[in-house]
Amino acid sequence: MNGFDLNRAYSVARKEVMHILRDPFTLVLALGLPVMLVTFFGYAIDFEVRDIKLAVSDLDQGPAARRLKEIFTSSGYFIPVEAGSGTVGMLDSGKADAALFIEPGFSRTVMGGGPVTAQFIMDGSDNSKAAAVSGYLAGIQRSAAFKLGGAATPEGLAVETRFLYNAELNSQWFTIPGLAAIIIGLLAILLTALTVAREWENGSMELLLSTPVRPIEIIAGKLAPYALLVLGGVFFVYLSSRFVFGVPFAGSRPLFLAFCLLYVVSALSQGLFISVATRQQQVAMQFAMIIGLLPSLLLSGFIFPVESMPPFFNYFTMILPPRWFMEAVRGIFLKGAGLRELALPFLALLALSAALLALALKKFKTDMEP
Amino acid sequence: MNITLRAFIKKELAQTLRDVRMRVLLFGAPVIQLTIFGLALSTEIKNIKLAFFYAPDDVMARRLEGDFYSSGWFKPVDFTAGEDPLELIVSGRADAAIIAPDEGLARSSERGEGRVQLLVDASNATKARTVETYVKTIISAGWAGKGGGAANPPPVKLDVRVLYNPAMESSLFLVPGVMGMVVCLITIILTAMSLAREREMGTFETIVSAPLSDAEILLGKTIPFVLLGLAVTALTLLAAYFFFGVPVRGPLWQLALGSLVFIITTVSVGTLISTIAKNQQQAMLGGFIFLFPAILMSGIMYPVENMPTTVIAAAYLNPLMCFMRILRSVLLKGGEAYVFWTNMGALALMAMAAGGLAYNRFKQTLD
Repeated sequence: MNGFDLNRAYSVARKEVMHILRDPFTLVLALGLPVMLVTFFGYAIDFEVRDIKLAVSDLDQGPAARRLKEIFTSSGYFIPVEAGSGTVGMLDSGKADAALFIEPGFSRTVMGGGPVTAQFIMDGSDNSKAAAVSGYLAGIQRSAAFKLGGAATPEGLAVETRFLYNAELNSQWFTIPGLAAIIIGLLAILLTALTVAREWENGSMELLLSTPVRPIEIIAGKLAPYALLVLGGVFFVYLSSRFVFGVPFAGSRPLFLAFCLLYVVSALSQGLFISVATRQQQVAMQFAMIIGLLPSLLLSGFIFPVESMPPFFNYFTMILPPRWFMEAVRGIFLKGAGLRELALPFLALLALSAALLALALKKFKTDMEP
Repeated sequence: MNITLRAFIKKELAQTLRDVRMRVLLFGAPVIQLTIFGLALSTEIKNIKLAFFYAPDDVMARRLEGDFYSSGWFKPVDFTAGEDPLELIVSGRADAAIIAPDEGLARSSERGEGRVQLLVDASNATKARTVETYVKTIISAGWAGKGGGAANPPPVKLDVRVLYNPAMESSLFLVPGVMGMVVCLITIILTAMSLAREREMGTFETIVSAPLSDAEILLGKTIPFVLLGLAVTALTLLAAYFFFGVPVRGPLWQLALGSLVFIITTVSVGTLISTIAKNQQQAMLGGFIFLFPAILMSGIMYPVENMPTTVIAAAYLNPLMCFMRILRSVLLKGGEAYVFWTNMGALALMAMAAGGLAYNRFKQTLD
């Protein structure tokens, strides 16, 4: 027995397919869960921070103070909340996210043309909110200087912005491809993480090993059905993002498919490696969740941009397939990037999936010798 | 506590902790994750690749360019003057490009047409929005300061103060979040898998045939995981306190009570999943179905309040969100009573509902 026998791999694959079919729960989940989650969170997630609860303590009650409050509320980002006696206390209890203090004499000083200061306090316990609020403040200060202080023009120099690829900054166009990348990768890891461990626990692995099937055939036979299953899930996700959310697809479909295939193989191999290395379902699952879930959510660039990380972590994330796939999916969907622009992610994913597959295979081989 | 139950708990703990890998996963992984995420993640957007196009003799623009690169948000891109700015962005070499008028900024603004063009790669909408804000802020500040406009201080100024986390350190914000996530993940998986495993291996029958009451079996299978969950919480809290300087501004009893009720809820959810699942694979997928939405709708990574109102209602059924709010309030804000008791009440209700449901299902599977 030498080399790779397609027939034997096929038999292992057929056995695995029967496993999947016998458990309709897994089948339905693998096909339906990605599209369900993408659709739900596509609607739910919005990274733009709005409706910031602003408590105003206006001790001036003059016209300029009223104008300043209007500038805040008409920006569309702030909603006023009734300020009681203890305005800072409202931040403590979370009834307000920010507070604006206008001292007595504010309007009089503004009329006199003198420089005047209003105090703005915000809740820094939620950085995602606070960072957005500080961004809005710059614009509000400019518009206050213009409307209240009578500065000649809002700014001596106007900025004309053109947003490429997503002119209206529709955040769904941006979240949905990213979500798809995360959910698909996770599901692929979870599906294979238990396959080999289960056989070890049930003792059926010994049986499989006593047959002439070679390790590479077992691995191939175990991967192929799951790869097909997950690609089926990808197909539904694609349909939903195109037709439910109207995300434009500017790139090439064959390239997208190639990337999906590479990514799915890398995730499946990761799961398989975990399964081979742990041999026990409970440990395998802990590993899969810890290695799969949090890093792919937090270190892939889905929410926190990879470029903003400290240099060490910027390099560290290079060993994570989701990081590359995230870049590729966003590039293909919105920018219409081709293989030339995505050469680096492509090579990286290719190398990672080959390495993970080889790792799983090697571990599997050494494991078989008692 | 009765002696059978104590023995049962001991067996359960021994079984879980027997495996070295499990010990590492339980006590090592949370600390490692806390460290990695605490150090790596930042809500601030930095290192934006910016190309600034201007005529070679435009002194104003050169000064502005200096402001951009010294702000720490932008980094320069290598390009030649003849290149197409659009092409730079399409090829991914730049995230944004600013194009100053050919005649120079000073002259064009004298004619009252001072404007620069900004091209932004908006394939990441959040980042694009931030880039625009940065650019506008830097340009108006630089313009006012460099004698382009009036050199006077702005007539109306906002004096901004950030409470609880004045330096806006990301670790202070993320570490409590990661703590909550890790504890949630570990307790749910542990419980769900442990019961499903006994069922798959057939050892569940042995337990059922032993002289134990239903309640004893249920408590014996869940109390160990509550204890482990509490140990993990304490460990991550120590790591957060000593490695990241996360303050503990509120009373410790709030932290302890909140963690206990939260862990009881997650262990109950885990038990519930395991009573529904037929084998470990189903238990794992069930765990995923609960965990993924729970983490995304917890407010750990982005504010829940941005979501559509119907979805927010669902977010209030999320134990992780309540625990998150308690954690942030106690650690960073000093544990205001209103925040604590409202979230605690919600958690307690969820714990009772999930616990009751789990007990019912569990009894059915026993019979």
